[in-house]
Amino acid sequence: MTSPRVKLPLLLILAVVVHTAVLAQLRIDGVAPDLMLLVAIAGGVAAGPSGGAVVGFMAGLSIDLFLQTPLGLSALTFSLVGYAVGNVQAGVLRASWWIPLATVLVASIAGEVGYAAVGSVIGQTQMMTPRLLVIAPLVGVFNMVLAPLVLPVVRWAARPTQLAPAYR
Amino acid sequence: MAVYRRSNRHRFLLVLLVLTSVTILTLDQRGQSSGIVGQVRTTARDLLAPVQTAVASVFKPLGNLGGGVLHYSDVKAENAKLRRQLEAARAQAATASDAERERKELLQQQQLQFAGDIPQVSARVVSTAPSNFQLTVGLNRGRDAGVEPGMPVVTGAGLVGKVVDASRTRSTVLLVTDPSFNVGIRFTTSGDVGVAKGAGARQALAVDFVDVNTKVGDHEIVVTSGLQQSVFPPAVPVGRVASAHKVPGLLQQDVRIDPIVDLRRLEFVKVLKWKGTA
Repeated sequence: MTSPRVKLPLLLILAVVVHTAVLAQLRIDGVAPDLMLLVAIAGGVAAGPSGGAVVGFMAGLSIDLFLQTPLGLSALTFSLVGYAVGNVQAGVLRASWWIPLATVLVASIAGEVGYAAVGSVIGQTQMMTPRLLVIAPLVGVFNMVLAPLVLPVVRWAARPTQLAPAYR
Repeated sequence: MAVYRRSNRHRFLLVLLVLTSVTILTLDQRGQSSGIVGQVRTTARDLLAPVQTAVASVFKPLGNLGGGVLHYSDVKAENAKLRRQLEAARAQAATASDAERERKELLQQQQLQFAGDIPQVSARVVSTAPSNFQLTVGLNRGRDAGVEPGMPVVTGAGLVGKVVDASRTRSTVLLVTDPSFNVGIRFTTSGDVGVAKGAGARQALAVDFVDVNTKVGDHEIVVTSGLQQSVFPPAVPVGRVASAHKVPGLLQQDVRIDPIVDLRRLEFVKVLKWKGTA
Protein backbone atom coordinates (compact mmCIF):
# COMPACT_ATOMS: atom_id res chain seq x y z
CA MET A 1 0.00 0.00 0.00
CA THR A 2 2.99 2.30 0.07
CA SER A 3 3.93 2.23 -3.59
CA PRO A 4 3.19 5.36 -5.60
CA ARG A 5 1.68 3.10 -8.24
CA VAL A 6 -1.10 2.30 -5.79
CA LYS A 7 -1.38 5.63 -4.00
CA LEU A 8 -1.50 7.87 -7.07
CA PRO A 9 -4.45 6.22 -8.86
CA LEU A 10 -6.42 6.15 -5.60
CA LEU A 11 -5.61 9.79 -5.03
CA LEU A 12 -6.73 10.64 -8.55
CA ILE A 13 -10.06 8.85 -8.16
CA LEU A 14 -10.64 10.72 -4.90
CA ALA A 15 -9.68 14.00 -6.53
CA VAL A 16 -12.08 13.47 -9.45
CA VAL A 17 -14.94 12.65 -7.09
CA VAL A 18 -14.24 15.67 -4.88
CA HIS A 19 -13.84 17.93 -7.91
CA THR A 20 -17.04 16.92 -9.69
CA ALA A 21 -19.26 16.48 -6.65
CA VAL A 22 -18.07 19.21 -4.32
CA LEU A 23 -15.77 21.79 -5.85
CA ALA A 24 -17.80 22.31 -9.01
CA GLN A 25 -20.60 23.77 -6.85
CA LEU A 26 -18.33 26.26 -5.06
CA ARG A 27 -18.30 28.98 -7.65
CA ILE A 28 -17.52 32.63 -7.31
CA ASP A 29 -18.57 34.60 -10.37
CA GLY A 30 -19.24 31.28 -12.05
CA VAL A 31 -15.65 30.01 -11.69
CA ALA A 32 -14.73 26.94 -9.66
CA PRO A 33 -11.28 25.74 -8.54
CA ASP A 34 -9.57 23.32 -10.89
CA LEU A 35 -8.51 20.58 -8.52
CA MET A 36 -7.13 18.30 -11.22
CA LEU A 37 -4.87 21.06 -12.52
CA LEU A 38 -3.72 21.64 -8.95
CA VAL A 39 -2.91 17.95 -8.58
CA ALA A 40 -0.89 18.13 -11.79
CA ILE A 41 1.05 21.16 -10.51
CA ALA A 42 1.57 19.49 -7.13
CA GLY A 43 2.90 16.46 -8.98
CA GLY A 44 5.46 18.69 -10.64
CA VAL A 45 6.41 20.29 -7.34
CA ALA A 46 6.70 16.97 -5.54
CA ALA A 47 8.17 14.68 -8.15
CA GLY A 48 10.18 16.70 -10.64
CA PRO A 49 9.66 17.00 -14.41
CA SER A 50 8.93 13.38 -15.31
CA GLY A 51 6.80 12.81 -12.22
CA GLY A 52 4.93 16.01 -12.95
CA ALA A 53 4.36 14.99 -16.55
CA VAL A 54 3.00 11.58 -15.53
CA VAL A 55 0.77 12.91 -12.75
CA GLY A 56 -0.42 15.68 -15.05
CA PHE A 57 -1.23 13.22 -17.81
CA MET A 58 -3.18 10.94 -15.49
CA ALA A 59 -4.99 13.81 -13.78
CA GLY A 60 -5.92 15.35 -17.13
CA LEU A 61 -7.13 12.06 -18.53
CA SER A 62 -9.25 11.44 -15.42
CA ILE A 63 -11.09 14.74 -15.69
CA ASP A 64 -11.41 14.47 -19.49
CA LEU A 65 -13.70 11.50 -18.94
CA PHE A 66 -16.21 13.86 -17.37
CA LEU A 67 -15.94 16.83 -19.69
CA GLN A 68 -17.57 17.49 -23.02
CA THR A 69 -14.34 18.56 -24.69
CA PRO A 70 -12.34 15.93 -26.58
CA LEU A 71 -10.71 13.23 -24.52
CA GLY A 72 -7.00 13.94 -24.20
CA LEU A 73 -7.16 17.74 -24.17
CA SER A 74 -6.66 18.09 -20.43
CA ALA A 75 -4.20 15.19 -20.45
CA LEU A 76 -2.03 17.01 -22.98
CA THR A 77 -2.24 20.40 -21.27
CA PHE A 78 -1.76 19.15 -17.73
CA SER A 79 1.19 16.93 -18.57
CA LEU A 80 2.92 19.93 -20.15
CA VAL A 81 2.13 22.03 -17.07
CA GLY A 82 3.39 19.31 -14.72
CA TYR A 83 6.59 18.98 -16.70
CA ALA A 84 7.19 22.73 -16.75
CA VAL A 85 6.50 23.09 -13.02
CA GLY A 86 8.83 20.18 -12.28
CA ASN A 87 11.58 21.79 -14.32
CA VAL A 88 11.20 25.18 -12.66
CA GLN A 89 10.90 23.69 -9.20
CA ALA A 90 14.09 21.70 -9.66
CA GLY A 91 16.00 24.89 -10.28
CA VAL A 92 14.65 26.77 -7.25
CA LEU A 93 15.77 26.14 -3.69
CA ARG A 94 12.60 25.75 -1.66
CA ALA A 95 13.71 28.17 0.98
CA SER A 96 10.57 30.26 1.38
CA TRP A 97 7.06 29.04 2.17
CA TRP A 98 5.49 31.20 -0.49
CA ILE A 99 7.40 29.82 -3.46
CA PRO A 100 5.18 26.75 -3.92
CA LEU A 101 2.10 28.97 -3.58
CA ALA A 102 3.40 31.41 -6.15
CA THR A 103 4.20 28.46 -8.41
CA VAL A 104 0.64 27.20 -8.04
CA LEU A 105 -0.78 30.64 -8.83
CA VAL A 106 1.29 31.20 -11.97
CA ALA A 107 1.03 27.62 -13.19
CA SER A 108 -2.76 27.55 -12.70
CA ILE A 109 -3.20 30.70 -14.76
CA ALA A 110 -0.86 29.32 -17.42
CA GLY A 111 -2.68 25.99 -17.31
CA GLU A 112 -6.13 27.49 -17.88
CA VAL A 113 -4.89 29.74 -20.70
CA GLY A 114 -2.97 26.82 -22.18
CA TYR A 115 -6.05 24.61 -22.04
CA ALA A 116 -8.09 27.16 -23.96
CA ALA A 117 -5.24 27.75 -26.42
CA VAL A 118 -4.63 24.06 -27.14
CA GLY A 119 -8.38 23.59 -27.36
CA SER A 120 -8.71 26.28 -29.98
CA VAL A 121 -5.94 24.62 -32.01
CA ILE A 122 -7.96 21.42 -32.21
CA GLY A 123 -11.21 23.14 -33.06
CA GLN A 124 -12.74 24.01 -29.69
CA THR A 125 -12.64 27.70 -30.40
CA GLN A 126 -15.40 28.67 -28.01
CA MET A 127 -13.03 28.81 -25.05
CA MET A 128 -10.81 31.67 -26.24
CA THR A 129 -13.13 34.48 -25.15
CA PRO A 130 -12.61 37.55 -22.96
CA ARG A 131 -14.16 35.46 -20.18
CA LEU A 132 -10.84 33.63 -20.03
CA LEU A 133 -9.37 36.79 -18.48
CA VAL A 134 -11.76 36.27 -15.56
CA ILE A 135 -11.52 32.50 -15.36
CA ALA A 136 -7.73 32.13 -15.35
CA PRO A 137 -6.85 34.49 -12.46
CA LEU A 138 -9.77 33.24 -10.34
CA VAL A 139 -8.68 29.64 -10.84
CA GLY A 140 -5.14 30.72 -9.91
CA VAL A 141 -6.34 32.26 -6.65
CA PHE A 142 -8.62 29.33 -5.74
CA ASN A 143 -5.90 26.81 -6.46
CA MET A 144 -3.51 28.83 -4.34
CA VAL A 145 -5.99 28.64 -1.45
CA LEU A 146 -6.34 24.89 -1.85
CA ALA A 147 -2.62 24.30 -2.36
CA PRO A 148 -1.66 23.92 1.34
CA LEU A 149 -4.16 21.04 1.52
CA VAL A 150 -3.29 19.36 -1.75
CA LEU A 151 0.50 19.67 -1.95
CA PRO A 152 1.27 17.51 1.12
CA VAL A 153 -1.18 14.84 -0.01
CA VAL A 154 0.36 14.59 -3.47
CA ARG A 155 3.83 14.64 -1.98
CA TRP A 156 2.87 11.68 0.20
CA ALA A 157 1.33 9.83 -2.74
CA ALA A 158 4.32 10.38 -5.01
CA ARG A 159 6.91 9.37 -2.45
CA PRO A 160 8.76 6.27 -3.64
CA THR A 161 8.51 3.08 -1.58
CA GLN A 162 12.07 3.07 -0.32
CA LEU A 163 14.17 6.01 0.64
CA ALA A 164 16.29 5.60 -2.48
CA PRO A 165 18.46 8.44 -3.71
CA ALA A 166 16.82 10.62 -6.32
CA TYR A 167 19.30 9.90 -9.06
CA ARG A 168 18.72 6.57 -10.73
CA MET B 1 27.04 13.46 -16.77
CA ALA B 2 24.22 12.24 -14.60
CA VAL B 3 22.26 15.51 -14.65
CA TYR B 4 22.38 15.73 -18.44
CA ARG B 5 21.16 12.17 -18.87
CA ARG B 6 18.36 12.74 -16.37
CA SER B 7 16.94 15.75 -18.16
CA ASN B 8 17.01 13.85 -21.45
CA ARG B 9 14.99 11.11 -19.84
CA HIS B 10 12.49 13.63 -18.51
CA ARG B 11 12.11 15.13 -21.94
CA PHE B 12 11.69 11.74 -23.54
CA LEU B 13 8.96 10.88 -21.08
CA LEU B 14 7.21 14.17 -21.76
CA VAL B 15 7.32 13.63 -25.51
CA LEU B 16 5.91 10.15 -25.01
CA LEU B 17 3.04 11.50 -22.93
CA VAL B 18 2.33 14.31 -25.38
CA LEU B 19 2.19 11.85 -28.25
CA THR B 20 -0.14 9.61 -26.27
CA SER B 21 -2.42 12.55 -25.55
CA VAL B 22 -2.50 13.54 -29.20
CA THR B 23 -3.30 9.96 -30.17
CA ILE B 24 -6.19 9.84 -27.74
CA LEU B 25 -7.38 13.22 -29.02
CA THR B 26 -7.33 11.93 -32.58
CA LEU B 27 -9.30 8.87 -31.60
CA ASP B 28 -11.95 11.01 -29.94
CA GLN B 29 -12.49 13.34 -32.88
CA ARG B 30 -15.99 14.41 -32.26
CA GLY B 31 -16.27 13.86 -28.53
CA GLN B 32 -19.48 11.88 -28.95
CA SER B 33 -20.46 8.68 -27.23
CA SER B 34 -19.50 6.33 -30.04
CA GLY B 35 -16.44 4.24 -30.55
CA ILE B 36 -14.05 2.92 -27.96
CA VAL B 37 -13.28 6.29 -26.41
CA GLY B 38 -16.97 6.95 -25.94
CA GLN B 39 -17.37 3.57 -24.28
CA VAL B 40 -14.58 4.35 -21.81
CA ARG B 41 -16.17 7.68 -21.04
CA THR B 42 -19.65 6.32 -20.44
CA THR B 43 -18.31 3.47 -18.32
CA ALA B 44 -16.31 5.86 -16.16
CA ARG B 45 -19.30 8.13 -15.64
CA ASP B 46 -21.61 5.27 -14.77
CA LEU B 47 -19.10 3.81 -12.35
CA LEU B 48 -18.56 7.06 -10.55
CA ALA B 49 -22.17 8.20 -10.55
CA PRO B 50 -23.22 6.55 -7.25
CA VAL B 51 -20.10 7.76 -5.47
CA GLN B 52 -20.66 11.29 -6.74
CA THR B 53 -24.29 11.22 -5.65
CA ALA B 54 -23.30 10.06 -2.18
CA VAL B 55 -20.58 12.68 -1.77
CA ALA B 56 -22.81 15.40 -3.17
CA SER B 57 -25.63 14.55 -0.78
CA VAL B 58 -23.20 14.78 2.11
CA PHE B 59 -21.90 18.16 1.06
CA LYS B 60 -25.13 19.68 -0.21
CA PRO B 61 -26.14 21.10 3.18
CA LEU B 62 -22.79 22.90 3.33
CA GLY B 63 -23.35 24.38 -0.10
CA ASN B 64 -26.89 25.37 0.83
CA LEU B 65 -25.65 26.91 4.05
CA GLY B 66 -23.05 28.92 2.21
CA GLY B 67 -25.54 29.99 -0.40
CA GLY B 68 -28.12 30.86 2.23
CA VAL B 69 -25.68 33.00 4.19
CA LEU B 70 -24.47 34.86 1.12
CA HIS B 71 -27.87 35.41 -0.46
CA TYR B 72 -30.25 35.60 2.49
CA SER B 73 -31.70 39.02 1.75
CA ASP B 74 -32.09 38.16 -1.94
CA VAL B 75 -33.94 35.00 -1.05
CA LYS B 76 -36.29 36.83 1.30
CA ALA B 77 -37.08 39.53 -1.25
CA GLU B 78 -37.65 36.94 -3.93
CA ASN B 79 -39.94 34.99 -1.65
CA ALA B 80 -42.13 38.02 -1.12
CA LYS B 81 -42.18 38.78 -4.83
CA LEU B 82 -43.09 35.20 -5.70
CA ARG B 83 -45.99 35.19 -3.27
CA ARG B 84 -47.40 38.31 -4.90
CA GLN B 85 -46.97 36.79 -8.35
CA LEU B 86 -48.61 33.58 -7.25
CA GLU B 87 -51.69 35.47 -6.11
CA ALA B 88 -51.90 37.31 -9.41
CA ALA B 89 -51.38 34.11 -11.36
CA ARG B 90 -54.17 32.32 -9.50
CA ALA B 91 -56.51 35.12 -10.40
CA GLN B 92 -55.65 34.78 -14.07
CA ALA B 93 -55.85 31.00 -14.16
CA ALA B 94 -59.59 30.88 -14.59
CA THR B 95 -59.67 33.08 -17.68
CA ALA B 96 -56.59 31.44 -19.12
CA SER B 97 -57.93 27.91 -19.02
CA ASP B 98 -60.71 28.74 -21.43
CA ALA B 99 -58.33 30.36 -23.89
CA GLU B 100 -56.03 27.34 -23.59
CA ARG B 101 -58.82 24.96 -24.49
CA GLU B 102 -59.66 26.99 -27.54
CA ARG B 103 -56.04 27.14 -28.63
CA LYS B 104 -55.62 23.37 -28.32
CA GLU B 105 -58.68 22.85 -30.50
CA LEU B 106 -57.29 25.17 -33.15
CA LEU B 107 -53.90 23.45 -33.10
CA GLN B 108 -55.45 20.06 -33.45
CA GLN B 109 -57.43 21.24 -36.42
CA GLN B 110 -54.22 22.34 -38.14
CA GLN B 111 -52.36 19.16 -37.08
CA LEU B 112 -49.41 21.03 -35.66
CA GLN B 113 -47.27 19.34 -33.08
CA PHE B 114 -47.42 20.85 -29.64
CA ALA B 115 -44.72 20.39 -27.09
CA GLY B 116 -47.15 18.95 -24.58
CA ASP B 117 -47.87 15.90 -26.73
CA ILE B 118 -44.27 14.74 -27.05
CA PRO B 119 -43.26 11.91 -24.70
CA GLN B 120 -41.19 13.26 -21.81
CA VAL B 121 -38.74 11.96 -19.24
CA SER B 122 -38.67 13.78 -15.93
CA ALA B 123 -35.23 14.28 -14.49
CA ARG B 124 -33.45 16.11 -11.77
CA VAL B 125 -30.31 18.19 -12.02
CA VAL B 126 -27.70 16.46 -9.91
CA SER B 127 -24.45 18.14 -10.86
CA THR B 128 -23.08 21.27 -12.40
CA ALA B 129 -20.36 21.40 -15.01
CA PRO B 130 -16.97 20.15 -13.85
CA SER B 131 -15.50 22.62 -16.31
CA ASN B 132 -15.05 26.38 -16.09
CA PHE B 133 -15.47 26.75 -19.84
CA GLN B 134 -18.70 24.95 -20.55
CA LEU B 135 -22.15 25.60 -19.20
CA THR B 136 -23.63 22.19 -18.67
CA VAL B 137 -25.64 20.43 -16.00
CA GLY B 138 -25.88 16.74 -15.24
CA LEU B 139 -29.20 14.92 -15.00
CA ASN B 140 -29.94 11.76 -13.08
CA ARG B 141 -31.45 9.98 -16.11
CA GLY B 142 -29.54 8.37 -18.93
CA ARG B 143 -29.99 5.96 -21.81
CA ASP B 144 -31.70 3.44 -19.57
CA ALA B 145 -34.55 5.91 -19.18
CA GLY B 146 -34.64 6.75 -22.87
CA VAL B 147 -32.52 9.89 -22.84
CA GLU B 148 -30.42 10.23 -26.00
CA PRO B 149 -28.00 12.94 -27.13
CA GLY B 150 -29.77 15.58 -29.21
CA MET B 151 -32.99 15.63 -27.20
CA PRO B 152 -34.24 19.03 -26.02
CA VAL B 153 -34.58 19.74 -22.30
CA VAL B 154 -37.29 22.05 -20.95
CA THR B 155 -38.95 23.13 -17.75
CA GLY B 156 -42.50 24.35 -17.34
CA ALA B 157 -41.30 27.83 -18.29
CA GLY B 158 -39.36 27.05 -21.44
CA LEU B 159 -36.15 25.82 -23.03
CA VAL B 160 -33.22 24.82 -20.86
CA GLY B 161 -30.88 23.31 -23.44
CA LYS B 162 -30.18 20.05 -25.21
CA VAL B 163 -28.68 16.73 -24.22
CA VAL B 164 -25.14 16.37 -25.54
CA ASP B 165 -24.01 13.20 -23.84
CA ALA B 166 -25.73 10.27 -22.19
CA SER B 167 -24.32 7.32 -20.33
CA ARG B 168 -26.57 4.64 -18.93
CA THR B 169 -27.58 6.44 -15.74
CA ARG B 170 -26.50 10.02 -16.30
CA SER B 171 -26.75 12.60 -19.04
CA THR B 172 -25.22 15.99 -19.71
CA VAL B 173 -27.26 18.97 -20.87
CA LEU B 174 -25.74 21.93 -22.70
CA LEU B 175 -27.48 25.08 -21.46
CA VAL B 176 -28.85 27.80 -23.74
CA THR B 177 -26.27 30.23 -22.38
CA ASP B 178 -23.26 28.16 -23.47
CA PRO B 179 -21.38 29.88 -26.30
CA SER B 180 -21.66 26.81 -28.52
CA PHE B 181 -25.46 26.55 -28.25
CA ASN B 182 -27.71 27.56 -31.18
CA VAL B 183 -31.48 27.45 -31.54
CA GLY B 184 -33.75 28.64 -34.35
CA ILE B 185 -36.28 31.07 -32.91
CA ARG B 186 -39.39 32.92 -33.97
CA PHE B 187 -40.71 36.23 -32.65
CA THR B 188 -44.27 35.81 -31.44
CA THR B 189 -45.62 39.17 -32.60
CA SER B 190 -44.08 39.45 -36.05
CA GLY B 191 -43.52 35.78 -36.83
CA ASP B 192 -40.06 36.46 -38.23
CA VAL B 193 -37.26 33.99 -37.52
CA GLY B 194 -33.68 34.17 -36.35
CA VAL B 195 -31.00 32.05 -34.65
CA ALA B 196 -30.25 32.59 -30.97
CA LYS B 197 -26.77 31.76 -29.67
CA GLY B 198 -25.51 31.55 -26.13
CA ALA B 199 -23.11 34.25 -24.99
CA GLY B 200 -21.90 32.98 -21.62
CA ALA B 201 -23.26 32.55 -18.12
CA ARG B 202 -25.82 35.14 -17.03
CA GLN B 203 -25.52 36.92 -20.37
CA ALA B 204 -28.37 37.59 -22.77
CA LEU B 205 -28.41 35.40 -25.86
CA ALA B 206 -27.50 37.06 -29.15
CA VAL B 207 -29.88 36.60 -32.07
CA ASP B 208 -28.59 36.48 -35.64
CA PHE B 209 -30.33 36.81 -39.01
CA VAL B 210 -33.02 39.20 -37.84
CA ASP B 211 -33.95 41.42 -40.75
CA VAL B 212 -33.59 45.16 -40.14
CA ASN B 213 -37.20 45.70 -41.13
CA THR B 214 -38.58 43.32 -38.50
CA LYS B 215 -40.49 45.02 -35.74
CA VAL B 216 -39.12 43.58 -32.53
CA GLY B 217 -41.36 44.32 -29.54
CA ASP B 218 -39.95 45.20 -26.14
CA HIS B 219 -39.96 42.18 -23.77
CA GLU B 220 -41.54 40.16 -26.53
CA ILE B 221 -41.57 36.40 -25.98
CA VAL B 222 -39.43 34.41 -28.38
CA VAL B 223 -40.18 30.74 -29.08
CA THR B 224 -38.41 27.97 -30.99
CA SER B 225 -39.20 28.08 -34.68
CA GLY B 226 -39.22 24.32 -35.21
CA LEU B 227 -38.36 24.76 -38.85
CA GLN B 228 -37.85 21.64 -40.91
CA GLN B 229 -35.18 19.27 -39.60
CA SER B 230 -34.88 21.32 -36.46
CA VAL B 231 -33.40 19.86 -33.31
CA PHE B 232 -36.13 21.51 -31.25
CA PRO B 233 -39.91 21.17 -31.47
CA PRO B 234 -41.75 24.39 -32.34
CA ALA B 235 -43.35 26.83 -29.91
CA VAL B 236 -41.15 26.16 -26.88
CA PRO B 237 -40.53 29.52 -25.15
CA VAL B 238 -36.88 30.48 -25.24
CA GLY B 239 -36.66 33.99 -23.84
CA ARG B 240 -37.77 37.58 -23.75
CA VAL B 241 -36.33 40.35 -25.86
CA ALA B 242 -33.96 42.44 -23.75
CA SER B 243 -32.79 44.88 -26.41
CA ALA B 244 -32.92 45.45 -30.16
CA HIS B 245 -30.74 47.94 -32.02
CA LYS B 246 -30.44 48.62 -35.68
CA VAL B 247 -26.74 48.94 -36.38
CA PRO B 248 -26.17 51.18 -39.40
CA GLY B 249 -24.46 49.42 -42.24
CA LEU B 250 -25.35 45.86 -41.16
CA LEU B 251 -27.99 43.72 -42.82
CA GLN B 252 -29.37 42.50 -39.51
CA GLN B 253 -30.52 43.95 -36.22
CA ASP B 254 -28.60 43.43 -32.99
CA VAL B 255 -31.15 41.65 -30.81
CA ARG B 256 -30.53 40.21 -27.35
CA ILE B 257 -32.87 37.94 -25.44
CA ASP B 258 -32.86 36.95 -21.80
CA PRO B 259 -33.45 33.23 -21.24
CA ILE B 260 -36.92 32.61 -19.89
CA VAL B 261 -35.75 29.87 -17.52
CA ASP B 262 -33.79 30.82 -14.41
CA LEU B 263 -30.72 28.71 -15.12
CA ARG B 264 -29.19 29.29 -11.73
CA ARG B 265 -32.02 27.50 -9.95
CA LEU B 266 -32.61 24.48 -12.11
CA GLU B 267 -33.76 21.45 -10.28
CA PHE B 268 -36.52 19.54 -12.03
CA VAL B 269 -36.53 19.37 -15.81
CA LYS B 270 -38.16 17.34 -18.55
CA VAL B 271 -36.31 15.75 -21.45
CA LEU B 272 -38.45 15.71 -24.58
CA LYS B 273 -38.11 12.55 -26.61
CA TRP B 274 -37.95 14.50 -29.83
CA LYS B 275 -35.56 13.36 -32.52
CA GLY B 276 -36.20 16.09 -35.08
CA THR B 277 -38.39 15.86 -38.14
CA ALA B 278 -36.79 14.05 -41.04
